[in-house]
Amino acid sequence: MECCENKTQWYKKLVAVLLGTGDCHGGVKQNTYGLKKIALVGSPNVGKSVLFNSLTGAYVTVSNYPGTTVDVSRGKGKIGQQEYEIIDTPGMYSLMCITEEEKVTRELLFKEKPEAIIHVIDAKNIQRMLPLTIQLVEAEMPVILVLNIMDEAERMGLRIDIKRLELELQIPVISTIAALNKGINTLKERVDKYVKVA
Amino acid sequence: MSKSLNISYDDIIEDSIGKIISYLKGNYVLSKRAVALLLLQEDEDVLEKVQDTEKSNFIKIRLIIQKTKENYDKPLNYIISLSRQELVQELTEKVVNKEEEKNRNISDVLSRLTMNPITGIPILILVLYFGLYQFVGVFGAGTIVDFLEANVFENFINPWINGLVNSYIPWQWLKDLLANEYGIITLGIRYAIAIILPIVGSFFLIFSIIEDSGYLPRLAMLVDRIFKKIGLSGRAVIPMTLGFGCDTMATMVSRTLETKRERVISTLLLALAIPCSAQLGVILALLSGSPKAMMIWVAFVAFVFLFIGYLTSKILPGDQPSFYMEVPPLRLPKLSNILSKTYTRMQWYLAEVMPLFVLASVLIWFGNLTGLFDIIIDAMGPVMNWIGLPNEAAESFIFGFFRRDFGAAGLYDLQASGALSPRQLVVAAATLTLFVPCVAQFTMMMKERGKKTGIAMAAFIFPFAFAAGYVLNLILVTFGVLS
Repeated sequence: MECCENKTQWYKKLVAVLLGTGDCHGGVKQNTYGLKKIALVGSPNVGKSVLFNSLTGAYVTVSNYPGTTVDVSRGKGKIGQQEYEIIDTPGMYSLMCITEEEKVTRELLFKEKPEAIIHVIDAKNIQRMLPLTIQLVEAEMPVILVLNIMDEAERMGLRIDIKRLELELQIPVISTIAALNKGINTLKERVDKYVKVA
Repeated sequence: MSKSLNISYDDIIEDSIGKIISYLKGNYVLSKRAVALLLLQEDEDVLEKVQDTEKSNFIKIRLIIQKTKENYDKPLNYIISLSRQELVQELTEKVVNKEEEKNRNISDVLSRLTMNPITGIPILILVLYFGLYQFVGVFGAGTIVDFLEANVFENFINPWINGLVNSYIPWQWLKDLLANEYGIITLGIRYAIAIILPIVGSFFLIFSIIEDSGYLPRLAMLVDRIFKKIGLSGRAVIPMTLGFGCDTMATMVSRTLETKRERVISTLLLALAIPCSAQLGVILALLSGSPKAMMIWVAFVAFVFLFIGYLTSKILPGDQPSFYMEVPPLRLPKLSNILSKTYTRMQWYLAEVMPLFVLASVLIWFGNLTGLFDIIIDAMGPVMNWIGLPNEAAESFIFGFFRRDFGAAGLYDLQASGALSPRQLVVAAATLTLFVPCVAQFTMMMKERGKKTGIAMAAFIFPFAFAAGYVLNLILVTFGVLS
């Protein structure tokens, strides 16, 4: 984990190390200069960081409560034949932001123009989370929808017609169980195809 | 890709969107339609950006927004969200098929129990008792620390290093830098490895299990009502409990809170009344010999937490926070995630703490060499005596200034030498808990809340900690408790 690679002067770095004031708190900042970007966005506690970990092979902290990720993490991940910069973002409920960490995510989407934006949602709360998908589609951003935690949704008796949803939304829709590593390969294939077409 | 998904709003809004778009000449990353919608919802950042880009046309856009608003008795944000929600409703009706929910399982029952005050509070006490007190305090800070301290360092590493240094190095100053009482290895590294690491490790292990189970959001629901009284919402439970791990990390997490007021209150409370894991572990271990001393410490710190929280919420302007939090299902934590999380955190912690401990040893060594250390300790003597502590306690406070955990570890040494009575121990532990945030936390406070706020908080905490220590000592002496 190489932290803080920006060009701060050496003595500042030294002071930061000695005083423990460097700001590398459980985040990952790999050197991804010049790579095309793929961002993971969505409400808090839907599994963005789990997906980030399985796409990059790095480890960012993952927990079962909203708001674990408060800062952006960047890692390298290979999808198809190409390496990408995968970006994990703090949770965001809507494009209309309330909290500071939501603003961080929105700014990132506006400034960095990722090749693909993977909107991760908790499948069992699909109704509450789709409005953000709608907003991203409205904004004409390159959205891919991931219905994560599919196992819990199924246990609750939810059956979601993925094909139909894809047709209605006109964007790729993939279902995953990221914590059990299910659906990751399909996701990668779809992202690969999507980015190539675009 | 064709955008055939038809997202439309009512005629008035659609009309306004059209008008606004005609004025948007700049280049925005998101579609003009989306920009127009955000403008109608009066998103501050977008308003600002459009004002900068469109210059004179912005006044016209403002006018359109005003006119549109007049058509509704509810905020446009609400109207627009509602139409979106209706669209989603239609959509999900087509694609989601809900079968009757299967019989309620054990996790639902447990979930309810944790959030109901009558059963929730006993569950909280159980979690605190077994997780924090038994595992971190008694096992981590007691058994493991004793083993590493007494068996590994005292019997093995320290004598070996001291012997090596004393027989091969001719210069006293270098001997003292590396070994003996305040050496880099015998003090700095010993504190980090033998005292701090086991405590932090056991805390992070328990905490990871609690985190992954989904207990924290339920705790948030449980204490929401109490937190409202101190100007916070249940949401603040997350940074507050994280503070028991590391206050620096927690200060950063407080940015998830909705209002500035909440963020300021929680930053202050974190700096003042939440001991970090290493500090907590050492204090639990020190006080575990006397349940009464422990109760006094807990009650005192909890009182300060609530009292100062209450006062700040009265002083700081602003509305009561609203509370909305997603409660995820209770899940069985995955061992692999617990282990990698604990490991990453310990690694991070050690990497952060080690250079600082070495630096502190060097500074103390320098202070000793020049006699500066003694001057400071003597100067702090009266303050120590004022709160009923011996002069030697000043050492822990100076250590604590570098890092909370370092100060607590200093206290551990002092207690081991038998220099403190139970009453003094409680007063020292309480004052040290309240006393300055460590350098790292202080830096984070300034970064997250601004320099002025950060410094103001430190300026308040510093004298307050000693005043509180004085009052506590006075109460204990007057009523003859723990004498």
